[in-house]
Amino acid sequence: MAEIESKTVFLKRWTSRIARRGLPLLFLSLFGIGLIPSIGFHFIELTSGKPAGTGTEILYYACVIAAFGSLWIWMKMFFQDRRESPLRLLWSVLVSGLFLITIAGVTARFGTISAAGIDLPLGFSPETGVPLTSPTIIKMMVVSLAQILFAFLIIHRFQQLVLVKRTRSSQRNWYIMLTLMAVAAITTITKPAGDAQNEWQDVAFIVSVVFMLVNAFKLSWIVFLSFKEKVATIGLCFVLAVLLILGLGIGNSGVNILVPRSFEYLEFYFVPLASFVKQASIFGILYCITAFLSLLFHLPTTGDYEQREGERATMFSMAHLVSQVFDAEKLFATVASAPVVGGSADYSWLAMPDHQSGSLQYRVMSTHNITKERLTEIINSDQIIEELKISRVPILVSRASTDHRMNLRSGNDKLGSLLVAPLIAREEVIGALFAAKRVINGFERDEVGTIGVFAAQAALAIDNARLFEQQVERERLSREMSIAREVQLRLLPQNVPVMSGVSMAASSVSAQEVGGDYYDFVRLGEKKLGVIIGDVSGKGISAAFYMAEMQGIFQSVSRLAATPSIFLHYANVALAESLDRNIFISAIYAILDLDKENLVIARAGHCPAAVIRLNGEARFIRTKGLGLGLDRGELFARSLSEETIALQPGDVFVLYTDGVVESRSADGEEYGYERLLKLLAEHRYDDADGIHAAVLRDLRGFMAGEEYDDDMTLVVLKWHGIPSDSFISREQALHELA
Amino acid sequence: MSNFSVGFRSSGHVQILDLKGELDAHTASELEAAIQKCQVNRQVHIVINGSSLMYISSAGLGVFMAYIEEIRENGGDIKIAALQPKVYNVFDLLGFPMLFDIVDSEVDAIGKFEPSNA
Repeated sequence: MAEIESKTVFLKRWTSRIARRGLPLLFLSLFGIGLIPSIGFHFIELTSGKPAGTGTEILYYACVIAAFGSLWIWMKMFFQDRRESPLRLLWSVLVSGLFLITIAGVTARFGTISAAGIDLPLGFSPETGVPLTSPTIIKMMVVSLAQILFAFLIIHRFQQLVLVKRTRSSQRNWYIMLTLMAVAAITTITKPAGDAQNEWQDVAFIVSVVFMLVNAFKLSWIVFLSFKEKVATIGLCFVLAVLLILGLGIGNSGVNILVPRSFEYLEFYFVPLASFVKQASIFGILYCITAFLSLLFHLPTTGDYEQREGERATMFSMAHLVSQVFDAEKLFATVASAPVVGGSADYSWLAMPDHQSGSLQYRVMSTHNITKERLTEIINSDQIIEELKISRVPILVSRASTDHRMNLRSGNDKLGSLLVAPLIAREEVIGALFAAKRVINGFERDEVGTIGVFAAQAALAIDNARLFEQQVERERLSREMSIAREVQLRLLPQNVPVMSGVSMAASSVSAQEVGGDYYDFVRLGEKKLGVIIGDVSGKGISAAFYMAEMQGIFQSVSRLAATPSIFLHYANVALAESLDRNIFISAIYAILDLDKENLVIARAGHCPAAVIRLNGEARFIRTKGLGLGLDRGELFARSLSEETIALQPGDVFVLYTDGVVESRSADGEEYGYERLLKLLAEHRYDDADGIHAAVLRDLRGFMAGEEYDDDMTLVVLKWHGIPSDSFISREQALHELA
Repeated sequence: MSNFSVGFRSSGHVQILDLKGELDAHTASELEAAIQKCQVNRQVHIVINGSSLMYISSAGLGVFMAYIEEIRENGGDIKIAALQPKVYNVFDLLGFPMLFDIVDSEVDAIGKFEPSNA
């Protein structure tokens, strides 16, 4: 199996190698094989002294056609993949041509038969057309071969030039011309050497020349040449044209003085080939002349063209824009300077809304060749930008001095014309690129286009830079927010206090990284505990700051306040200084006193605490009281009231924030006070942890995967009624009972 | 996505703002803009009609606090009328009835302005 496979691979490799190397070799040998009998034919005529028979002649034609057909194909293969610059190509054609013409010219002049009385410079019998000497045959062969090679070379090499920027039609025209040349050549097969062409042959010839003209104007390659290359190419074309006229010539015209009677030799060899060489020569001459003239006319505009191309290249090179995405200021400077650097303007500047100051007012970000101060004096950028935002296409001011948006009377900056291109990214005008020239009517249509396209690309780069900045900013923020979160978590109690006869549980979750909920405990004595819950209005970072402030106030003031309402009053005074007018804090402060066996509670606008007794009685403790910060004077103090609850064993106190009762189910229903109270009553036999867990569990079930929309805090206290060390848990009690 | 809107009506010299939907931290700015607009138009007698207000958060309440002082300084007031019971409860818990005139109907609220401007 593997063997077969390797054989196939081997075969494939060989076939491709044969195709690559072997085929040209094959055609070259075919050429040789065809050439030898064609020479032999002339020697047969020489020895027999009379023209060959029709059969032999047909055989001869076949040999010659096969030989030169093979040569044609071989040359085609040889030049197929060559891609040379036009200059190099023309140079190689010229050198080869000179070489071939020199050989032909020398051979043609060597050993002519010219005896007195008879003028037979070619050495062929005028009556029979049979060669008279063997040097005649050799001369004929050398001169003919040199010419044919040159002609083939012209066609094969010029094909590359004609088909630069090839289109279907240009390619078709080329092959039509080649076909017509071949047809015109073949029609001459019946024509005896030296005779004139008949009408049909003339017609075919003329049609072929028409297509030569069509192809002779395919000169796209000229525009890509630099000035120097153009000058050199002009010279080459001229010399090549001269070489073609004087060397190959155009048939029997007599101008082919470099190789005397070259055409006649060819005709004696093979008339259609002579015709083909003549046509190739004509095409070569035509092409060289059109190229020569075209280059001559292009020469004066080359400078402009090169400059324009340079501008284009500068403006279009995105690489230098993209690389500056990480440095917005530098990017602005590059964009602003591009029209001047690219040579399209004398001054240029970039205006954009200032994102750093948050202002949407356009500001000149970067200038080139002109100062920002000067700009504000001479031009009303805002008005132009407003127009630009609506039109979204470049605005061209050809005569700045008469424009109402300019104020050019003062100062000596000559500002003749102005071009403003919009920077559009994601369908939005994000800025404007201004380019100005000292002269009036300074901007040509193509410059408007170039600067417009550049502005579009610059907009992309700037937009990317912005996105990048935002991304960096977002990451930085998220890092800082997570730090803030850790700090805030440390502001909350890490453990609930341990107090004999009381079980406690508490938790707080924030809807965002940080929140405005607060709860805390303070030991006011061995058997006295203060507990607070608070909720700053709003959410997020601002709420978190006030929450931290509340924590500070609580930690410092709570020990100084004898009763909950006194503490809340102090807190209100302390907060009045710093709270924003639209910010307030709701809070409940309760003091649990196990000596007095009571709980004193005051409420400052907060969701009322729930109290549940062992007998199933459950209610909210809704004392009066304004939220902290809602009034900063006496009204607050007057609004407060306290309630004192005598403790009974099994009493459960639940403090919570509105996040608990306002939690919503998937259908938008609120959790509500009723449900909370009912649930607490059901779990009144549990200890604080159990009740706490039950509420959270029920909330989770109720919300069924909905996101927390608000901060949510829950504090549960239970007085078990068995003071000091004799406290045992419910499980233990049940166990002992059993 | 905003499910909150403010409608403007007027009754004589009183500007009535009809609140609709849910007023929370995300939508508070719309009410702010509405009150600012009243201030720009020098309308300081404002009645908030809350008959279609389904929810209010603390951030929403903060909007009233932010402007009431200035409006009162300019001789005006914000009266709140026709709140849904649940929404009224939120106002009530915080003690807003001590700070604002909160009445059952819009007519009552407009009526409260009359004596001072007769």
